[in-house]
Amino acid sequence: MDHTDTDATPTGAHGAPEDPKAYVEQVMAEIAEEVRLRRSSGDLPPKLERELDELFLAHSPVAGRGGDLGEALRMVDAATFIDPVVPVESERAAGQFVKKGMRSLLLWYVGWVTHQMSQSASAVSRALHIVDERLTELERRVEVQRVPDAGVIEFPSLHGPDSWWVEPAVASLAKAPGRVLHAACGDGWLVRRIVAAGGDAYGVDPRPRQVDVPGSGPSDLREAAVVDHLRAVAPAALGGIVLSATVEGMAGGERAQLLAAVGTRLAPGGTFVVHSVSRTSWDAADAPAETDLAPGRPLRPEAWCRLLEDSGYQAEARQGPGGNDFLVVATRDAVTAPYAPSGR
Amino acid sequence: MSAAAGRPVAIHQFIATLNPHDATGTHALKLREALRAAGWRSEIFAEAIHDDLAAEAHKHWTYPEHAAEGDVAVYQFTTSSAVAGYLAERGLPLILDFHNYTGPEYFAGWEPQSVRRATAAAEELARLAPRARLGLAKSPFSEATLRRAGCRHITVVPVLADYGRVTASPDPRVAAELARLRAAGGADILFVGRVVPSKRQHDLVKALWAYRRLYDPRARLHLVGGTASYEYSKSLHGFIADLGLAAAVRVTGEVSDAALAAHFEVADVYLSLSAHEGFGVPLVEAMVAGVPVVTRGAGAVADTVADAALVLAAGDHAYVAAALHRACTDERLRGILRQAGRLRSRRIAADAAPRIVGAIERAVAEAA
Repeated sequence: MDHTDTDATPTGAHGAPEDPKAYVEQVMAEIAEEVRLRRSSGDLPPKLERELDELFLAHSPVAGRGGDLGEALRMVDAATFIDPVVPVESERAAGQFVKKGMRSLLLWYVGWVTHQMSQSASAVSRALHIVDERLTELERRVEVQRVPDAGVIEFPSLHGPDSWWVEPAVASLAKAPGRVLHAACGDGWLVRRIVAAGGDAYGVDPRPRQVDVPGSGPSDLREAAVVDHLRAVAPAALGGIVLSATVEGMAGGERAQLLAAVGTRLAPGGTFVVHSVSRTSWDAADAPAETDLAPGRPLRPEAWCRLLEDSGYQAEARQGPGGNDFLVVATRDAVTAPYAPSGR
Repeated sequence: MSAAAGRPVAIHQFIATLNPHDATGTHALKLREALRAAGWRSEIFAEAIHDDLAAEAHKHWTYPEHAAEGDVAVYQFTTSSAVAGYLAERGLPLILDFHNYTGPEYFAGWEPQSVRRATAAAEELARLAPRARLGLAKSPFSEATLRRAGCRHITVVPVLADYGRVTASPDPRVAAELARLRAAGGADILFVGRVVPSKRQHDLVKALWAYRRLYDPRARLHLVGGTASYEYSKSLHGFIADLGLAAAVRVTGEVSDAALAAHFEVADVYLSLSAHEGFGVPLVEAMVAGVPVVTRGAGAVADTVADAALVLAAGDHAYVAAALHRACTDERLRGILRQAGRLRSRRIAADAAPRIVGAIERAVAEAA
């Protein structure tokens, strides 16, 4: 590869800025546009990123073969017996005879050692099987008391491009130091709004078929739950995170997990935006049926501000018309320790 | 003997592992050279010493045989080590030369041993940082880490590295092999770093897959560096095979300096999607070698490359593939990145040793 500097002088191609820094900025903008076009043309379907991640994780010890205890135990069982009779094949003519002779000479010794090792491994394997049986029983009992995930709960009158909170939310993200993620993005209406305002945004939504709506325009939308997605994102990689129709029905544990993931993925100087319906809307007769089934209830804006300030954010809440909903905008200068629920 | 202090004082370095081919080992050796050139008595004490460097260092527990009144310790902090506890107990005046460490979250689910070690590193940093007379951070990113750990006086100074090794004579055998591959066409994409979860080599493989599918079906990825995570390495190889990229991804393992030079010589672009870097010596090496850099701005990376690379806001494969396409084909962009890279690397390397020695001497003088 030729690495000379002969082409270093900016010559100013037709329509391109003369200033090198301006040219690099233009290239970055063109790259982002190229990606949007590629995605909208179907070259790279939104689900592909997740499928590649899953393909990789299938090999990992956490999510792959070792992730299932039963499978891991079968691997342990298979490796428990240590064979003292070593293979004697050889590429050299005399090698096989030499190896065979050595094996005969050493078998009494190696066999004695491997017998004890196999016995030891069998004892460990048996103990693991007992643990497995007890864990299975515990899981069965815990399952009865399981708290389900809240899922996405949309209020049609409060979640859409004409909602009052969209404008202040987009404005608060104007200086986001990186990409903006919108959780429960639906067909991407807010993502497109942020992009139209000059931002760089993408969305995730766990609901099947939400993100592949034909004609929804060139947006980077992926089918994924927000917590799962955030765990796959590099630390401090996001300039902004918007949660809408996401947090209202969450139980404390699920909310804590989500805030912990947000805390580590948001870049220093990033903006965290939460839109939530109020308890009045939540309890109204025309609220979606999912509100009854959700494990939690909406927090009040004061509680959100307290929660976020305890995690190092500067938070500000704004009430919506009629007290139906509210918006919380939080910023944080530095990445701090992940959110940990306090005793309050 | 230090003229500045007017009495015999030694500035000794302590390090977890002294290796010949890693950034910290090279830094420690070069710093010792610079300290000795400035008139200080200086030795290296390590918990583990690579066989090739056996004559260059002493085991840390032999320090009492070399100790003298007024000694100052410079601790090369990269990971958890018995050296940290040793220094804390001895109470020597301490200068923390902080290279940052990879947090436990990056190893979670992969290497339980590494998780434990990284957790211990955080605890050791919290123990040592408040009592350090000076913290030497390799980047503003590391400076922030050091400050959070309680270090009060911090100076940002670069890593001392042998950047010239990437422009030295390339290994002819490796160069011939790379030339043979190159003859088949397609871009050569390079990454240099240990095969560990935090370096996210699997993201590089995803990006190559997308880049081949959308732009250059004959492109190759060269992953240069030894592994410190068997599980991650095994998963990476399985992933490469699943994507049908076994012939397109070369995982070289640890290589010699001459072989490294051969890789930089042939590379069209240097790509890093690492999730954590305390400084990023290979990024600077790429700039020295005149290879355009495309990188995710995680950790200290954005500080290290400044405006001399395409710094990506996101690491998803479509975005990276589009950036690779521009970095490989846009000659004006390549020229700008090369020129900016060379300037940036010169700025990083300029007077690095005198700046570090000067900072250490000021701290020693203030303590005297």
